[in-house]
Amino acid sequence: MRRAIVLVSIAVSVALLAYATSVAGALGNLGLETRALAKMFLTLAYNPGLRELTAMSPEAVTAIVWDFRGVDTLYETVVFYMAITAALAIYRGAPKVGGGGVGLSLIVRVVTRLLIPINIAVAVSIAVHGHLTPGGGFQAGVALAVISVLLAVVYSAKSFGKVGVDESKVIALESAGFVAIAAVVFAPLIYSSVTGAQAYLMQNYVKANSEFSFPVEVLGQLISGTLIWFNVAEFLAVSFSFFIIFMLLSLREEVVRPALVGEESGS
Amino acid sequence: MALNALERFLLTLTLYNLLATAAISVYGIVARPSLTKKIISLTILGDALNVLAIFVGFRVFSIPPELTPEVELSLFVRSAVDPLPQALVLTAIVIGLAVNLFLIFLALQVYRLYGTLDARRIRELRG
Repeated sequence: MRRAIVLVSIAVSVALLAYATSVAGALGNLGLETRALAKMFLTLAYNPGLRELTAMSPEAVTAIVWDFRGVDTLYETVVFYMAITAALAIYRGAPKVGGGGVGLSLIVRVVTRLLIPINIAVAVSIAVHGHLTPGGGFQAGVALAVISVLLAVVYSAKSFGKVGVDESKVIALESAGFVAIAAVVFAPLIYSSVTGAQAYLMQNYVKANSEFSFPVEVLGQLISGTLIWFNVAEFLAVSFSFFIIFMLLSLREEVVRPALVGEESGS
Repeated sequence: MALNALERFLLTLTLYNLLATAAISVYGIVARPSLTKKIISLTILGDALNVLAIFVGFRVFSIPPELTPEVELSLFVRSAVDPLPQALVLTAIVIGLAVNLFLIFLALQVYRLYGTLDARRIRELRG
C-alpha cells in the first residue's frame, strides 16, 4: 500500500513537470530560439562599447559565473566549503599516514609518472584561460584532483607521505584558495576606504557611478579583471579540497577503524 | 529554419527520457532501503536534472557561447546557445560532487560503526 502511494505520487509529479515543460514553452519554440535574458548576457559578456554594463570576458559562461551572478557562485563556494569541512570532521582523529602497499606494476607506474606533469599543465591551462575559452576554476580543480586518485591507486596510499604531501599542507593550500576568493571580493572595499571613491563589493569593471576596475589587460593580454583571479583562487580551493577527500578515502580500513570506533565508545 | 519531423521527435524523446530517468531515481531515493542505492539514485537524479537544464538552454542550429575574434557580435547573439543554464550546471556539478563525497563518508562511517547500510535497521538503532 505504501509503495503504491509512493509510486503514484512520483508518477503524478513527473507527469505534471512534463506537462508544465511542454505547455510553458520552456524549450522556446522547441530549441530554435533563446530567451531575451540569454540575449542580454550574450550581448554584455564582452562589449567595450557598453562600458558600464559589460563583464569584459569573451566567455559568456564565466562572465555569468563570476560577474553577472557572482554572489550566487560565491555562496555555492560556501556550500562546497561546508561539505568538505563536514567530511573532514567525520574523519577527525584518523592517522596521518596510510599504511603499506607497493602499488601497481612498473609499466603503470612509469606511464603515470609521465602523465602527471601533463595533467598539471592541462589543469593550470584550463584555470588561467577560463575567461577566454570553455573552462574555469571548477573544471580545472576537478582535473587536478584526478592526480590524487592516480597516486592512491597506482603508487598506494603510502606514496602521499613519500612525495611530501600531508594533510595539513593540503588543507593550508585549500584554505589559501578560499582566502584568495574573499580577498578579491573585499578588494574594492579596501580601495574605497583608502581613496574615498565609490566602489562595490565583487566589482569587476567600471560601473555607472564608480570608476573602480581591476586591470582588464596586462601587456596587451586580456585578463578580464576579477575573473582570472576568481578562477585561479577557485582552482586552488576545489583541487585541494578534492585532493584531501580522496587522500582520506584511500586510507586503509584497519588503520582508520580503531580511531573511529574508539571515539564512538568514548575510549 | 524549421525542424523536420525526425528532429522534433528526437528532441521530444530526449526530454521525456530525462524526465523518466528523474522519476526512476526519485523512486530509488524514496523506496529503496539500502543507503548505497539511495546515494547512487541521488547522483543519477542530479545528473538527469543537470542534463535537463542544459537541454532547456539548447538550440538546434547554434554555436558555443564564446565570442571569438572571427565572429561578429550580432551573429553571436543571434546564434549562440543560452549560457545561463551552462553556468548554473557547471557549479552544480562540482557542488554535487562535494555533497556526494560527504554522503559517502557518512555512509562509510555508519557501516563501520553499525555494520549495516539498511535504512530500516539503522532506524531501529538506539544510542
